[in-house]
Amino acid sequence: MDFGLKPLGRERLWLWIMLAPTLVGLVFGALGSVLATVALSFTHWDLLTPPTWAGADNYINLFTNAAYFKALTNTFTFSAMYVPGVVIASLFVAVLMNRKIHGVSAFRTIYFLPAVTSAVATALIWNLIYGRDTGILNFFLSRLGLPAVCWLCTKNAMMSVVVVNIWGAIGEGMIIFLAGLTAIPREYYEAATIDGAGEMQRFFSITLPLVTPSIFFQTLISTINAFQAYDYIYMMTRQGGGDSSIPVVVFSIYRNAWNFFNYGGASAQAIELAVLVITLMAFYFWLERRYVIYE
Amino acid sequence: MKYCLSVLVVVASLLLASCGGGAAPVATQASASTQPSASGAPVQITYMEWGDPAELDVWNAIVADFEKANPNIKVDVQVSDWDSYWTKLKTLLAANTPPDVFAMDAPLFLDYKTRGVLLNLQPYIDKNPGMLDGLYPNTLTAYQSPDGYFGLPRDFQTIVVFYNKDMFDKAGVAYPKSDWTYDDLRATAKALTKDTNGDGKIDQFGYVIDPWDFEPGMSEIIWAYGGDLINADHTKTLIGDPKSRQAFQFLHDMMFVDKSIPDPNTSQQYGTDLFLSGNAAMIAMGHWAVPGYSEAKFKWDVVQMPKGPAGQATSVNSAGFVVGKDSKHPEEAFEFIKFVESAAGQTRLAQMGFACPVLKSVAESDAFLKQSTPINQKIFTDSLAFAHMKPVFRGYDEWSSTVGDGLTPMWNGDVELNPTLDSIVTSADEVLAKNK
Amino acid sequence: MGKSAQKLILDVISYTILIAGAVIMVGPFLWMVATSFKLPADQFTHTLIPNPATLENFRNLFSFDLNFPRLFLISTGIALMSVVGQLFTCAMAAFCFAVVKFRGRNLLFTLLLVTLMVPDQVTLIPNFIIFRWLHLVGTSVPLWLPAFWGGAFGTFLLRQYFLTLPRELVDAARVDGASLWDIFWRIYLPLGKPALAALSIFTFQGAWNDLLHPLVYMPNVPNTTLTVGLAFFQTQLTQGGRYTVLMAGALLSILPLIIVFFFAQKLFVEGIALSGMKR
Repeated sequence: MDFGLKPLGRERLWLWIMLAPTLVGLVFGALGSVLATVALSFTHWDLLTPPTWAGADNYINLFTNAAYFKALTNTFTFSAMYVPGVVIASLFVAVLMNRKIHGVSAFRTIYFLPAVTSAVATALIWNLIYGRDTGILNFFLSRLGLPAVCWLCTKNAMMSVVVVNIWGAIGEGMIIFLAGLTAIPREYYEAATIDGAGEMQRFFSITLPLVTPSIFFQTLISTINAFQAYDYIYMMTRQGGGDSSIPVVVFSIYRNAWNFFNYGGASAQAIELAVLVITLMAFYFWLERRYVIYE
Repeated sequence: MKYCLSVLVVVASLLLASCGGGAAPVATQASASTQPSASGAPVQITYMEWGDPAELDVWNAIVADFEKANPNIKVDVQVSDWDSYWTKLKTLLAANTPPDVFAMDAPLFLDYKTRGVLLNLQPYIDKNPGMLDGLYPNTLTAYQSPDGYFGLPRDFQTIVVFYNKDMFDKAGVAYPKSDWTYDDLRATAKALTKDTNGDGKIDQFGYVIDPWDFEPGMSEIIWAYGGDLINADHTKTLIGDPKSRQAFQFLHDMMFVDKSIPDPNTSQQYGTDLFLSGNAAMIAMGHWAVPGYSEAKFKWDVVQMPKGPAGQATSVNSAGFVVGKDSKHPEEAFEFIKFVESAAGQTRLAQMGFACPVLKSVAESDAFLKQSTPINQKIFTDSLAFAHMKPVFRGYDEWSSTVGDGLTPMWNGDVELNPTLDSIVTSADEVLAKNK
Repeated sequence: MGKSAQKLILDVISYTILIAGAVIMVGPFLWMVATSFKLPADQFTHTLIPNPATLENFRNLFSFDLNFPRLFLISTGIALMSVVGQLFTCAMAAFCFAVVKFRGRNLLFTLLLVTLMVPDQVTLIPNFIIFRWLHLVGTSVPLWLPAFWGGAFGTFLLRQYFLTLPRELVDAARVDGASLWDIFWRIYLPLGKPALAALSIFTFQGAWNDLLHPLVYMPNVPNTTLTVGLAFFQTQLTQGGRYTVLMAGALLSILPLIIVFFFAQKLFVEGIALSGMKR
């Protein structure tokens, strides 16, 4: 992507002024914290006494830690199911809403509601839906003569929880795509209609290619969210004060940092997770070069 | 759009000015403790604890009494929920700005003490001879060490069985007696496990335990069978030993054979507390649930934990006071602790209803025994006679998480009991070795 | 099949799907609203219309030591400041990344994205130590000041959007003698309204719902945000089975989010017209 204005003369100053806050934030804020985390991952730190050097111990431990490996596998499985699901679902919803629908404001607000519904209310309702003996889903299944399914038992928990997460994220994805769809000039559609293209055709030849920048954004952000997802998962599958029946990495990071006096180990887990996501990100950027169409 | 933006900015700044101004006098914990004490201006100390919002009023009353008796000390009480408390505490400790006095959960005590962030209270105790005489000895053990006390208990909990009298009456089952056995418990639970609405699924359970935390339900039966959780010097996990295994098998059978204890997937459907929601006849629980349960629509009472082959056993645990080692006002901090340990402070705490007072005289007085909830409070203190201490050792959190998480698949019915206990013991022992 | 027939079928399908989806989307929310008006005894009933309905739960909310109004105002102030900060700084940075050519552009952008990968809980302590050193703990500053340092999410979002705007705009503006700042302020910002609206929603929501940071930087209850206050009462309310009051609190606390969303989404105007632009 080589597009760009070349700043002329004094404009160079403006360029740096406009970038200044972000640069400051990078150095002192976000990037600084990330570097601190990397540094801490090479230490043993319990938060209460000064850190001691650990070399690569924390990283080596990750390879022998069965619990961490299980959490990592779960996180990957979750992401593999969640990311395509949420991207497709929210794009679909946004495209539907973009077609002169009556009451679109109401629809948009309704679809946004899950994103703001309290986590406690959400967990309660979905427990009501998924309950093995008392749940609404199984109620319908029994009416149809089918056997009840234990939706939240270990076997099915992953799938059930992915659905809840997609449900909760459609609203936000919809916003991204709605914004992206507005950038497609109306003239293209008008020209295509004049040329005799039907709606489906217009979607595949105009909408889809031109919404790829938003697809790229949404896929990348959803992946990051998927790797860090844990609140819905834990609200629905957590047993008492402990871990979930489908543990994920972020919870392991949290517990190691705050409960097990193992901030260094937690940092190592966080960095490893970040590295995995960055690798995925590199893949996404490759896809961007090949498939994303900026105007 | 520019207009909207400027309005936004103005409004935001106004709002922020109002909350920014409020923030300044409250200041940070650190700057609060640097105020001079010599000039006669009051010294400000902070007391941090986890608890219920309902406790704030009582603590404010305690502080008011304390400040009347000690006009040169002002106490700032901060209460949060359990999770938030430990996050805040560790953040403060990591930044070297500990609160002056803070609450400690006994099992976690050694994690903090061995890392040198707690003040040794022995010199102050020595200056106040007889201060500890009126306290229950079981509650003091957790905070003892060769070089003295690094903390003092504030109140304690024992685990008893709460039972729903209305449910017993309806089923025509006799109330549990104080010398009942686990076999009695099993039979009673079975008789009270029912499908009350005829839809083919059990929705009333005889007995509920916590499947993850040992304290409410699991440790008591292990001890009653003669087993144990961990050995005396905290190097070996003992939940896989034969007698402990028998105890687990007993609970396992109740859950999977009798179906009188709900498994986690089932209990999840009924909310967070099956006893309160009226779906369970009995529950192993501590005194902390009493104020919440007092809102129940049914009549209930408490009875001691049952007897096992090795006798009667229950769990005792305490919440304690500790002082930050780097506190700038250790004398004032200790004065506050001393006040709450005295009859005046303990009486108010007892009336709060969440825990049992550690001062014997108050525990035996009406302040504790006759509270608004008409139950047999004495059972809690009587249980001290056969109570084992909830284990206190370095690495407790990680150890109990490893064990609890290991038990989860077993309670979910995914893994058999014996292989589960075997693998848990191995992983748990690794944690112990790491924390030596 | 004629075009109008195809359109009709698609219309029917669209409405059906949207309505069915809406039912699932709104269900929990409706239950939340209904429960907040129910009597405590009815809290687990499956009905959506409370009968009898009561305002008792809301009254309870205000009678606690929660100091709801003050917490509400503090949360609002912080969220608004965050939105202002993010809109300004991310827009400027996104413009630079999307429109201006400079050395190291791609590298810098990649570095920015990397910061998204590390979870908050881990960066909390280094940040806390910095703010403690600046004596800002106990104030709201650490909660909104970082919004003025740009941010990966906002910059990324706006950059994607800016990249989709036609380049002819820039060329034409240059021909007219516009400076870099002019192009940003007069062309990209106005045209970027949909994306800016989206970013406002996300920023407001993020700041409003944040629990971890206010917990640590504003730990005392009357002087903290609504989420911290509600979390504190939540344990008591869920274990005490007081779901009705909890839902009342949750409902009141999300009202601002819904209001912000409702106004911001009006900016998702359909399409931009290029007519009038010289090609």
